[in-house]
Amino acid sequence: MRVLVVEDDPLVGDGVRRALNGGGFAADLVSSAEAAKSALDTESFDLVIADIGLPRQDGLQLVRSLRNRGQIVPVLMLTARDGLEDRVKALDLGADDYLTKPFQVPELLARCRALIRRANSVANPRMVFGDLELDTTRKSVTAAGKAVELSQREWAILECLILNAGHIVSKNKLMSTIADWSEDLTLNAVEVYVSRVRAKLGGAALISTIRGLGYRIDEPRK
Amino acid sequence: MTAPSIRKRLLGLLLLPAVLILIAGTLSDYFTALAPYRDAYDQALFDAALAISAHVRVGSGGQPTLSLPPDAIAILRYDSYDSIFFKVTTESGSFIAGDRDLPQLARESNNPARGFTRYHGESVRLVTYRAKGPTGLLDVSVAETLHKREHTRSRILLSSLAVDISQLSLVLVLIWIGVRLALGPLRSVEAQISRRSARDLTPLPRESIPTEIQGLVAELNRLFITVRATSDAQRRFLESAAHQLRTPLAGLQVQLELLTEDPTAAPVRERLAPLLEATQRLTHTTQQLLALARSDEAANLRWEFAQIDLQDIVESTVADRISAALTAGIDIGADTQPGAVQGVRWLLLEALSNLVNNSIAHTPAGGTVTVRCGTAGGTAFLEVSDSGIGIPVDERERVLGRFFRGSNARGAGSGLGLAIVAEVAQLHAATVSIDSGLGGKGTTVRIAFQPPGPQLNR
Repeated sequence: MRVLVVEDDPLVGDGVRRALNGGGFAADLVSSAEAAKSALDTESFDLVIADIGLPRQDGLQLVRSLRNRGQIVPVLMLTARDGLEDRVKALDLGADDYLTKPFQVPELLARCRALIRRANSVANPRMVFGDLELDTTRKSVTAAGKAVELSQREWAILECLILNAGHIVSKNKLMSTIADWSEDLTLNAVEVYVSRVRAKLGGAALISTIRGLGYRIDEPRK
Repeated sequence: MTAPSIRKRLLGLLLLPAVLILIAGTLSDYFTALAPYRDAYDQALFDAALAISAHVRVGSGGQPTLSLPPDAIAILRYDSYDSIFFKVTTESGSFIAGDRDLPQLARESNNPARGFTRYHGESVRLVTYRAKGPTGLLDVSVAETLHKREHTRSRILLSSLAVDISQLSLVLVLIWIGVRLALGPLRSVEAQISRRSARDLTPLPRESIPTEIQGLVAELNRLFITVRATSDAQRRFLESAAHQLRTPLAGLQVQLELLTEDPTAAPVRERLAPLLEATQRLTHTTQQLLALARSDEAANLRWEFAQIDLQDIVESTVADRISAALTAGIDIGADTQPGAVQGVRWLLLEALSNLVNNSIAHTPAGGTVTVRCGTAGGTAFLEVSDSGIGIPVDERERVLGRFFRGSNARGAGSGLGLAIVAEVAQLHAATVSIDSGLGGKGTTVRIAFQPPGPQLNR
């Protein structure tokens, strides 16, 4: 996995690059939007992390020109400003996520993994989440190499949670994922399926219940 | 002390002279109307005196006598209101006829002489006429009590008062209406200003402004422009300060985090940990100060309030704080019912997130934090309750102040979190209340918004 970091502050840029390396990513650091564009023209990257406050062309302009040129690489924006307008604008222009400075390393890595996983899930049938490996064509799961037997509905729930890792997935969304035409499902049924998935995965992934909102899956802390 | 009022001033300046003029008019009317009546009544007395003097004849002893028969005297003395008295004497004062003890007026240049005197304990009007008698000059005095004169006088007084009071009332009403109409343009300017949003700092249009307050409005507009320039500068300053503070902090924090994990730095790890902690505390305080400064700024600025869905605010906040809660072993949840307010989204997020952070920091592992929103009794609310250590009752007011930390506060807080909550609430015309949580344990903080109405535009 290769990440392009666009950051003009040397301390932050170096920190992000090192953090990515530590998280198992290859990372290249450039300090301007212009340099980022020429790097993206010649090389291929799985993710771009761009600061909004770049000199000359800023990060928002960079995202716009990438999207205008049809480049679909996921973009995570970093911003030191807390104005909501910036974030909304960034997402409108085609950024995939944003993170406010200062951030914590685990948060940065989790966001990067989620963005890459989501981007790859379309093309690549193999999805990795911590110790879990999912094969989306055969609908099979292994935890640390050992097969986990899941029913179709349990598998659909796990896939939905992992594709939205780091975010809350509501019960309603899970219900619509597993509902088929022949049967009326209740929200209670969703609870039952989730607790079965949780039990079958054991410690390979953490599925937290957020009372009143839904569920969230996280990689187990090491 | 009350503020000076142009209307009261105008009314005072117009009404006082008007009242004085009308009172003077009343008095003058009264006295003018009185004179003819007095003269008419006096004329009647004089006529009587004249009639009496014509009936003085030379009597048997050569002495002058009054030759009126008793019937005629009775008629002379008859009056339905007053008692009439008379006396006839010679020039030298020898009594000829009538009421012997009736006083006479001292001789004056006027003939007949007129005046008031007292007779038998009553005030009387007296006319003394010097007439030529058959044997020389005579003094004929006729007097009457004052009943019909008093009666006439009070009737004149009453009728002039009635006329003048109705005139006065009419003038009062006209002046009052006139002043109101004249000040109408002022009120329309006032209405124009009060209709504006408090955040609207565009100059007032000057076309419909009366000449008298053009200067005032011009000054107001100049003030608007200054305030706008100042708050624009303030916003640019804060944006720049946020950037200048956060970027190095971000670098510092990420590098320290990486160093702490770096095996080659193992010998100094013990010294790195407090550095990282201090950086995180510095980061936190910086965030809080920036938020507070921006909410101050928002209070003065034309931040556009928008319709905000509170369920969305709660979900975003909980989603943002889940990791922290789960790490702390806290069961975090939401209970959302529909609720909407006019507000500034990022400020509401900041306030709610501060409340949730506080709850997470002050709730032991195994406890619960629940974030609620909804509408109760027509007003929307946001609420965070926890099963934590609670806030002592006597500190609940003070924790909303800046840099105050509860006596049992935990962790490295800045003492600004609840101050931000209070500021945000104030900006949204909402109230913050702090209570114990369920069963008297823990803390419940509730932000209750105003029912929808015009105050939200302010």
